[in-house]
Amino acid sequence: MSTEKDQWGTRLGVILAVAGSAVGLGNFLRFPGQAAANGGGAFLIPYFTALLLLGIPLGLAEWAMGRYGGKKGLHSAPGIMGVFGGRVVRYLGVIGAIIPLVVSFYYVFIEAWTVGYFLKFATGGIGIDRAAPIAEQSATSAAFYNSFTGTAADGVLFTSDGSFTLLCWLVVFAINIFFVYRGISKGIEKFCSYAMPAMAVCALIVLIRVLTLGTPDAAVPEQSVSNGLGYMWNPDFSRLGNFQTWLAAAGQIFFSLSIGFGIVINYASYMKRKSDVALSGLTASATNELFEVGFGGMITLTASVVFLGLAGTTAAVSTGSFGLGFTTLPVVFAHMPLGNLVGAIWFFMLFLAAITSSLSMYQPAVAFLMESMGWTRKKATTAMVLLGVFGSALTVFFTQGGVFWNTLDFWVGTFLIFIMAMIQSIAFAWIFGVERGWKEIHDGAVIQIPVVFKYILKYVTPTYLLVIFIGFCIYNLPASLRAVGESRPAQYALLLIAASIVGLLFAVREGEKRWRAEGIDLDDKVPSDGDLGMAPAPASRRAPQ
Amino acid sequence: MTTAGWIIMSISLVCVWGLAIWCYKTVLSTPPDDLSEPPAGFGA
Repeated sequence: MSTEKDQWGTRLGVILAVAGSAVGLGNFLRFPGQAAANGGGAFLIPYFTALLLLGIPLGLAEWAMGRYGGKKGLHSAPGIMGVFGGRVVRYLGVIGAIIPLVVSFYYVFIEAWTVGYFLKFATGGIGIDRAAPIAEQSATSAAFYNSFTGTAADGVLFTSDGSFTLLCWLVVFAINIFFVYRGISKGIEKFCSYAMPAMAVCALIVLIRVLTLGTPDAAVPEQSVSNGLGYMWNPDFSRLGNFQTWLAAAGQIFFSLSIGFGIVINYASYMKRKSDVALSGLTASATNELFEVGFGGMITLTASVVFLGLAGTTAAVSTGSFGLGFTTLPVVFAHMPLGNLVGAIWFFMLFLAAITSSLSMYQPAVAFLMESMGWTRKKATTAMVLLGVFGSALTVFFTQGGVFWNTLDFWVGTFLIFIMAMIQSIAFAWIFGVERGWKEIHDGAVIQIPVVFKYILKYVTPTYLLVIFIGFCIYNLPASLRAVGESRPAQYALLLIAASIVGLLFAVREGEKRWRAEGIDLDDKVPSDGDLGMAPAPASRRAPQ
Repeated sequence: MTTAGWIIMSISLVCVWGLAIWCYKTVLSTPPDDLSEPPAGFGA
């Protein structure tokens, strides 16, 4: 067995990989819709408040936890969180393995949509006749979306009608598997170091195209770039008195930064022992914000208003992120000069945003299987691929109304993320101790984080999280529980989640035995502050050649 | 677009672009992380 280590090659590499994980479809599609529906420019006040009180502190904590666990030779959320919080937290840490695994089940399916739309626009569009009435164009776009995503009936994508979607899905899977097999430095880091700049270039091209549209139809002067920007940015301060606006803003920050996913903790564990986490974490967050506010906030709704007007855009926003992105924007591109080219660039950019996120979802599960079961990267990745194909195939099969994957998204991609973030917050600031945590954040740091964040980490962030979580439960749980009671696919989705949890809990138990037998300092008896307590990882967990 | 809209948009864009530029400038202008290798076997 080789002694080759999995480790990030450069500081910029890990920053781009974490930023790639955070920047996803939500930056371009969810953020503008949330802002427009919650007070426009006024939404940015609770949004930036949540960034400062929730996003940045939790992100720093997760980076520091990951690197600290890596010093002890641990790379999975259960292993690392156990170091911070003890045995119970170690078992609860299984949430950090389950989230990326289950989210990947439906995320690669959605990623396949971006590939399909990119290929369609690169080869002439999706058949929208721009001379037809807008309602007819929207119907054509919706029909393509429904057909491509198989929302009409379960199993429809496994018939000849779904062959193009299946092909896209397989291509996306193959690309993901290829890079995960190659490992941290040669696979994920290398891909993200090209994909992130490429994504920025694509976003810049589309932004310039949208901002130079002017007023394309002189007969409808209100459909202008200025009014499009106004739709997104004109503030309605009365919305600040509504708790749901604050809830939506915190939710957007929370999910956008990929906090509590179990991804950052895993990625940070591959850093060198004196690597900077303060500046790296801040830079990854800043990159995410640039894509979200600087591009997402400027492109999507502006383009929609210019071609579909205020009423059309309001209707589009009400259909949600996917309605806006995959039904409305194709109509917009059909009207835009060089629309097919701009559409192809747009969907290629969404594909890059999606794949840099999906790659990050496989890695935590692979790392967990490697260290809990003592498997090689090849064996763990093969197991991960089999699990991924099984879970994702179920998502591709149960497509009717999107109930199956929406259920996975709610319970794992939303509910469990709140739980995970709260556990991390408490484990880091209260059990491990905020003083030690603060020292760990600054160990090797290039910048000094203002000391006020230490108190925010200890008092404000956990309280803020708890309030948001309670609000989230009050507003969303009853309807979601009803949906589970009424829908068979929703019940299958919960069954899949339960089976995954049981399987991973078993792996934690096996891992705990293995780690103890190998003398890993699971209970943090020898603090890894500085160079103390850093025993080398056992041979069984070293990566193969 | 209203004046308030322009102001909020401008401040937001200056904040996100400014923070990103400052972060990357700092990352690129500081020495690389500790290049010394950790003990054999560290990592997965």
